[in-house]
Amino acid sequence: MSATNAPIVDIRHVHKSFGSLKALNNVSMSMSLGEKVVIIGPSGSGKSTLLRSINKLETVDAGTIIVDGHDINAPTTDINKLRMELGMVFQSFNLFPHKTVLENLTLAPMKLKGMSKDVAETMALKLLDKVGIKDKAHQYPSQLSGGQQQRVAIARALAMSPKIMLFDEPTSALDPEMIGEVLDVMVTLAKEGMTMAVVTHEMGFAREVADRVVFMDHGTIIEQGTPEHFFTSPEHERTKLFLSQIL
Amino acid sequence: MTETRTIDVGEGAAIPSKSDWGLFNAWTISIVGAVGAILYLILTQPAPYKRIIYYLADGVVITFQVTVMSILCACCIGLIVGLGRVSKNKAINLVASTYVEIIRGIPLLVQLFYIYYALGRFLNVHDLTAAIIAMSVCYGAYMGEVFRAGITAIDKGQTEAARSLGFNTKQTMFLVILPQAWRTILPPVGNEFIALLKDTSLVSILAVSDLLRRGREFSSETFLYFETYTMVALVYLVITLILSKGVSFMEARLSHYVRH
Repeated sequence: MSATNAPIVDIRHVHKSFGSLKALNNVSMSMSLGEKVVIIGPSGSGKSTLLRSINKLETVDAGTIIVDGHDINAPTTDINKLRMELGMVFQSFNLFPHKTVLENLTLAPMKLKGMSKDVAETMALKLLDKVGIKDKAHQYPSQLSGGQQQRVAIARALAMSPKIMLFDEPTSALDPEMIGEVLDVMVTLAKEGMTMAVVTHEMGFAREVADRVVFMDHGTIIEQGTPEHFFTSPEHERTKLFLSQIL
Repeated sequence: MTETRTIDVGEGAAIPSKSDWGLFNAWTISIVGAVGAILYLILTQPAPYKRIIYYLADGVVITFQVTVMSILCACCIGLIVGLGRVSKNKAINLVASTYVEIIRGIPLLVQLFYIYYALGRFLNVHDLTAAIIAMSVCYGAYMGEVFRAGITAIDKGQTEAARSLGFNTKQTMFLVILPQAWRTILPPVGNEFIALLKDTSLVSILAVSDLLRRGREFSSETFLYFETYTMVALVYLVITLILSKGVSFMEARLSHYVRH
């Protein structure tokens, strides 16, 4: 955590409600370049909403979110351009079923960055090699296992060379034996210095990778700190209770 | 992950599918019966039936013309209306919804008369063109509903994935949503196609010499009402059956990719 750097993500006093449910209640959090933040908490605590508001898949009701120097809710901000800097991985993969694995990776770079097909495919194959499924390049997503699909989804997000990667419970929809292969890819990515915000229930991953663990409950950040601090000496009762339930 | 979604199909001939042997048999029986009956009548009683079929031939061409032109125009209108109906722009959404409400609230025959005479009075358009416009305007609304259903049946995650990569709404729709929606839309579009073909018989009232009108002309000259309408019905049946088979083949071909 380099304090000298200006934060690449700066969330200030954000509120968001779904009807009568207060999903985010005055949440402030920032991330610096290269930092890996793992957000944990019980379901319904607002952690996914927080993550999704960073690339404006959820529009917040109040507060500001600055990404890479741009206020994402400002009318002058081109959100589509900004989203290219923010790779997103979903719980349900959301690969394009009508495209091959390779086409899933090349679609956005070709259409949005004007990359030629050759260049895009070379890059895509390199990324597929990195996530360990180069041999599946010409198959359709439905022919792949869940773990393979999620690795493709990570590669697809990486194909836009984002500055930040957002992971929304990337292993929650996977069979237990496939979680490892996806986490391995994420660990590799973290070691390469990628800025990452990860919502997950994988405490092992949090311990190994996180620079900072953020614990949320009922739409607010209860506590945050380094994994050592967080897992060994949490301050709040709510955190202790949560950890005792899941560890 | 997501369950297979189906769209409510509404009216139209039943499309036989391979898994449905009852329908498949029904289709076979019908087509063999219809073609057999036509051939039998022509061969055994060439005196009225051969003349009738020759006379009807021109009408078949017109019916096809009206059907094909109308379905093309209706698909275009339907796509626009469908996109309007899922649009977040309230004004566009309202215009599209109102169009659908109005069209669905007026019987097709009344619409045909109305558009035909309104166009005839103010624009002086050709009979056939007026009929095609009237059919397209009406079926455009039904198609719009089919397109809307097809678009909304695509998982929301697809839109989110596309948007998160940086695609705008238009790119998301045309690169990600519509290419997938086609597969869900095709069977109901096929049904509309067949329903439209049958409804083209209504344009016979508007001085358009389609299959039914040719039949009316022939029978009123010869007084061979029973023979003529037997032939008319059989010809419609054969065309509709062939079309429905074509639709199910197309459907089978397009569903080659497996849904997740």
